[in-house]
Amino acid sequence: MERRIVITGIGVVTPIGTGCEEFWTNLIEGRSGIAPVQSFDTSNYDVHRGAEVKEFNAEEYILNLDAAHLGRASQFAIAAARLALADAGVEIGSLDRKRAGVSMGTTSGEPREVERFDDAYVSKKLDRIGPEFLALYPCHVIAAHVASELNFAGVNIMIPTACAAGNYAIAHALDVMRAERADLMLAGGSDAFSRITFTGFARLGAVAPETCQPFNRFRKGMIPGEGAGVLVLEPFDRARRRGARIYAEVGGYGLSCDAHHMTAAHPQGDGAKRAMQQALTDSKTKPEDVSYISAHGTGTLTNDRLETIAVKRLFKDAAYRIPISSIKSMLGHTMGAASAIEAAVCALAVFNDRVPPTINLNDPDPDCDLDYVPNFAREMRVNVAMNNAYAFGGNNASLILKKRELLN
Amino acid sequence: MIGKRVVITGMGVVSPLGDSPARLHDSLCQGLSAIKPIQLFSTVGLGCPLGGEIIDFDAAKYLGQRNLRPLDRTSRLVGSAAQLALEHSGWSAEMRAAQEVGLVLGTMFCSLHTISEFDRRALEAGPAYASPMDFSNTVINAAAGQTAIVHNLRGVNTTISTGVTSGLEAISYATDLIRTGRARALLSGGADELCFESFYGFDRAGFLCRSNDSAGDFPIPFDTRRNGLALGEGAALLVLEDAELARERGARIFGEIKGRGSSYDCSRGRNGSDAVEAIASAIRQALSDAFLLPHEIDCLSASANGSQVGDRREAEGVFTGLSGQTHRLPVTAIKSMLGETLGASGPMQAVALLETMRDRVLPGIPQLKEIEHGFPLEMARSESRETDVTHGLINSIGLDGHCCSLIITGCDN
Repeated sequence: MERRIVITGIGVVTPIGTGCEEFWTNLIEGRSGIAPVQSFDTSNYDVHRGAEVKEFNAEEYILNLDAAHLGRASQFAIAAARLALADAGVEIGSLDRKRAGVSMGTTSGEPREVERFDDAYVSKKLDRIGPEFLALYPCHVIAAHVASELNFAGVNIMIPTACAAGNYAIAHALDVMRAERADLMLAGGSDAFSRITFTGFARLGAVAPETCQPFNRFRKGMIPGEGAGVLVLEPFDRARRRGARIYAEVGGYGLSCDAHHMTAAHPQGDGAKRAMQQALTDSKTKPEDVSYISAHGTGTLTNDRLETIAVKRLFKDAAYRIPISSIKSMLGHTMGAASAIEAAVCALAVFNDRVPPTINLNDPDPDCDLDYVPNFAREMRVNVAMNNAYAFGGNNASLILKKRELLN
Repeated sequence: MIGKRVVITGMGVVSPLGDSPARLHDSLCQGLSAIKPIQLFSTVGLGCPLGGEIIDFDAAKYLGQRNLRPLDRTSRLVGSAAQLALEHSGWSAEMRAAQEVGLVLGTMFCSLHTISEFDRRALEAGPAYASPMDFSNTVINAAAGQTAIVHNLRGVNTTISTGVTSGLEAISYATDLIRTGRARALLSGGADELCFESFYGFDRAGFLCRSNDSAGDFPIPFDTRRNGLALGEGAALLVLEDAELARERGARIFGEIKGRGSSYDCSRGRNGSDAVEAIASAIRQALSDAFLLPHEIDCLSASANGSQVGDRREAEGVFTGLSGQTHRLPVTAIKSMLGETLGASGPMQAVALLETMRDRVLPGIPQLKEIEHGFPLEMARSESRETDVTHGLINSIGLDGHCCSLIITGCDN
């Protein structure tokens, strides 16, 4: 019998709230975190809105490392990790540190470090950049900083598979725990609001001018964001022994690659379908047993249409009965953190029997004719949640979370 | 861990010392060095003008005249190594259409140069002049994604980034996917390009060897005169396969991945004994994963790159990890010739070790004159020598805490 792995803690830093409680309340109420960009001057751009994390105080969470000398994505990741451990009621001192690990995803790593380098370069003041560039920039430092802050000496890995990275990192943590290489894993994703990312999506014409309206007829694109999401994963028997609250079981996952185009999804959603199919097989779930799907749902014309096609191809008629929502309508696209935060949402949906809405959905696209939980959260039985994420490079990842009661 | 057996059925390598396993091996056994004045960018104002550059690298030689324009240097390195590995293993385009092959790539920086250039163009000319095509290469999984498109690799596509250990960690990750039956055939390895931005970072951090030293221009792992590493570049990929599939299709088998171990030093190198223990821990995990005892390891491909502190810790970590049984252990350190190729380094060591298993010649560490006193590695030599290797240990040790070890067994075992 395969080792069963459960989620016992959730930590999030998001544009609509930090910490599980504040975040979930705002999510269920359909609040938006999208506002004018404050991180840098956007007057040179055609678009000006983003989903930034406001009033974040790194010193509150970073107790052992020097918070002032860490990149923003590392700061978010440590905060989310601390929040997740506290939420799980785990005493760090009680862990075998060699069997406590970290698996994180990201799109850009610590982009502000390279942006600082570039600012110095173009102003011909590169000598301002010293040894800190190598120490703070490479993306592996995010997982490393989390582990060093917490004194975790187990598995430590960074999976930078862009906008699906959070799901990849959680999937890997699941494998690590199934193989009994760790007693506890912190898994998730983190990204800082980045000038490079904003510029790129703006140049692709993918950034919406005002707001994010996934599945809406006249949707105008995505909104770049930032944040972090971290889950505590433990074996079921251990969690039960210590009387931990169990949000959900991580049932399984599927990964695939479109091998089609760097930035556009496969026109029939081929890779997305294969990832979902594998996740169902891995978690021994029948398609009709899926209660809820957290969509990638960026709000771009093609993503939302192709994602709908892929869901219909896999679930057939059942597709029309499964509520699907995109929390990117509220949070914007938090990049490598997105699917980790969405996995947290799936866990909370399974735990609370409630699913968040897709806001700004008043005039549905005729090509997007599924149940996207428009505008209002819904109370419903959620036994099985599927979390879908798609990325540049054609990297697709689907995750299945299941209700604890299905475990015994 | 018990699971399906994972065998190596092909290798692809693009390096300054050759673009095939055999050519790389020959260069290493002759003691040739890739470390030369850098041509790719200006090193004026930097402490070290040398690096292991692939001079006149031309991806068209491997990928033909297809549209290479969307691929930057890192993606071209990976795409080329993938082409060579697929050819070497016999995974034709028809076979890949019928059965999913995936890619697990380790890289420390992926396309840092593209990222930085994209941003600088937006700063200098305005955001409207930044290139959308370049943007698609700014994600750290760009090289893996581009390579999947070029070679129709529709299976798992994962990028791993753990600094210097990225490539070996990618092979470990891929090994686990095959052992558990999640994948049957995967390209796996690593790559990093030489570029101004990362070079500048290493220079400012004081890691690079100084060319004006009495030791000459080269990194000399384990030697008393070592004073730093030389940065290199390249890509190396293995084709990993479920042993049953390899047998069914009659593939040539070059070796088997027997064991893997990873650990992390929370002090990030600040505490010497923690750093040594992390190295030892990765080795012990690899041994236990392989069901092998320390005395059964008959070759070490070291991570040592000429760094003062790093090489000492590796020597001590190997001694501890192998329970003191290092005195008759043949050791090589190919970063003495290739330089530190970061994400490519572990997979480069794997390719070189597999060639040693085939050819029974182990490269030396050129210019090694005097192993630092107290290093328990008496069997490091400057010259290449005949060596029979059954179970080879590969180390990959990062600059700031990551350690990864892999045990590869020759194909007759």
